[in-house]
Amino acid sequence: MTPLIQLTNLTKTLKGQGEPRSILSGVDLTLHAGESVAILGRSGSGKSTLLSLIGLFDRPDGGQYLLGGSDITRVPERRAARLRSDEFGFVFQRFFLLKHLSAAQNVAMALVNGQGWLPRRKRKATVMAALERVGIAHLAKHKPPRLSGGEQQRVAIARALVREPKVLLADEPTGALDTETGALVIDALHSATDRGCGLILVTHDHAHANRMQRVVRLADGVLVTERQGVFP
Amino acid sequence: MGLSGRFRSALIIGGQGVRARKLRTFLSMISLFLGVLAVVTVQAGAEIANRALLADIELTRGKDGTIQVGLPQHEQTVPIAVDTLRGQSDAVAAVSTQAVIGEPGVTPINEGGVPFEYAGQSVGRGQYYCDGRGACYSVESTEAPAPPGKAIELQIVGLTGDIRPFRPFYAEAGRWLDFSGEPSLSPGLVLNREAAKGFGQYRVPAEMRITGASVNSTPRILGVVHDGQSRPVAYVRADELDNWLPAANGNSGASSHLYLSPSATRLEQTLNGRLAAAGVPMEQSYRDVVNSKERIGGQLALMRLIFLGMAALVLLIGVAGILNVGLATVGERIEEFALRRAVGTPRLLLAGIVLAETLIIGLLTAAAAVGVGVAGLEAAELLFGSREPMLQGVQFPWQAGVAGVIAGLVAGVLGGLLPAIRAARIPIATVMRA
Repeated sequence: MTPLIQLTNLTKTLKGQGEPRSILSGVDLTLHAGESVAILGRSGSGKSTLLSLIGLFDRPDGGQYLLGGSDITRVPERRAARLRSDEFGFVFQRFFLLKHLSAAQNVAMALVNGQGWLPRRKRKATVMAALERVGIAHLAKHKPPRLSGGEQQRVAIARALVREPKVLLADEPTGALDTETGALVIDALHSATDRGCGLILVTHDHAHANRMQRVVRLADGVLVTERQGVFP
Repeated sequence: MGLSGRFRSALIIGGQGVRARKLRTFLSMISLFLGVLAVVTVQAGAEIANRALLADIELTRGKDGTIQVGLPQHEQTVPIAVDTLRGQSDAVAAVSTQAVIGEPGVTPINEGGVPFEYAGQSVGRGQYYCDGRGACYSVESTEAPAPPGKAIELQIVGLTGDIRPFRPFYAEAGRWLDFSGEPSLSPGLVLNREAAKGFGQYRVPAEMRITGASVNSTPRILGVVHDGQSRPVAYVRADELDNWLPAANGNSGASSHLYLSPSATRLEQTLNGRLAAAGVPMEQSYRDVVNSKERIGGQLALMRLIFLGMAALVLLIGVAGILNVGLATVGERIEEFALRRAVGTPRLLLAGIVLAETLIIGLLTAAAAVGVGVAGLEAAELLFGSREPMLQGVQFPWQAGVAGVIAGLVAGVLGGLLPAIRAARIPIATVMRA
């Protein structure tokens, strides 16, 4: 079975002012459809950098990145945008919702992105279905400032899921939430794997990490498996 | 579908951006408004001046494309021209001569048919002679001058048909000549504004003496038109005039002038053939095609360019305003643009979104400027229309509206280009970190 994602010896060096700093020095990672993986690691260990490489926000300096068997290590930006739209869903710690748009409009942002076009009625139905999946369809017309942190994160999850992505990338999605709300958010994310969506969760929280099928730790630029899940 | 989807996406997101930042949109519009209004005003002013100038020229010279032919003086010219063109709609012959209306045997109030503001100012003993082109010359006379009396001298123009399709006179009072039916022995005159002014100022007997004629007639005044002439002129049916011209009217000093539509070439050839056969020296004739639009267009083009250049400078200040607000807004919206890129929005569409916003601002500003232009013109007509004939019944020129929209769009593009490039270059990875 072809894995959804296969990273082989991925490297990334940050070049800014001063000496170049090696962040990733040979990362190997495989993710199958419906599988969930938690990535743990200290602050500055490169978890978010790894996620930005997987999500095609950035490109690796070396190694190989296969998505569904296709090599996308050096994918051009135009195709990367298409892949971000169709293959990936993103959830961030800071929600990144636009304050001037309603919850439904924030979700619709992933549909009105120049990658295909849905008629207004169909778009609305798709958005409402996504909000329904995370249990906040009744808040569709509310703007973010009127929503709680947990509700805002669920709007962000609905936005990530609205295009039915193959891979869900979550970068510390519970970092700004209390424990109880965080658990609800993890529930919402985890439910996506039931539909065959792969989930990569970057977190500091061991409790949330332990709910994933596999847990890996990023240390010294390489991934070390902490708990191996059973996956066909 | 791809382009259409992207275009619609840009419009939807751009519209959301404009609605979300109403105050900024308003401030951008203010900075751009004066520039667009300047372009609209210059264009409207130039078009209105152009129309007014063209209308004046059409009155005196004829509409664009009209063929004017001046025929040589000969005893056969007038009869053949009148006979050939009688009943024709695409050509008119105008036979001009001088006449005096009023007391016989006196020096007219405006001797030589001069405008009434110069009445009584003739110097020396002489007589005016006007040729077919309308140019007048003073001819010395050795005869003793007649005593001054109650008489008005004017130019009489006999027409074989309606001249207004060629020279669109403005009706001011009464009615125009009726060319149907038999000619009257009492010539029906339609006066021009200057002639009407003379008859309004001076009471003169209704007796008309045509130059060279031995018998006087009693004219009837039918109406008044504005023909753009400063000299007093009266228009009459050529056949009614013909009744009173001397038998050998070719020697009476009457000149013939033709107005032909561009399609009347066969008629022109027929007339030329008949005149040549009658011994008229056709090599002395002249032919001219009215081409006023091009001529005055050239005259106004430089003026318009200068004013448009000044308007463009004002517009550039507005563009700088949009640019400034646009760059500041992109700086504030880094997260939004990074997020949009993260969810798959291509760089090009991001640039399109910013451009759509500035284009919407440009279009809204153009609409406001055109609206103010229309209202301003109506107000000017209301306030100054009675003093300025150019403003009477003036319509807002559509060219000014188009210029305003183009100026708004150009300003939108120029003001939005740099912010659009910046928005498209925002890196996702550095912005979207937790």
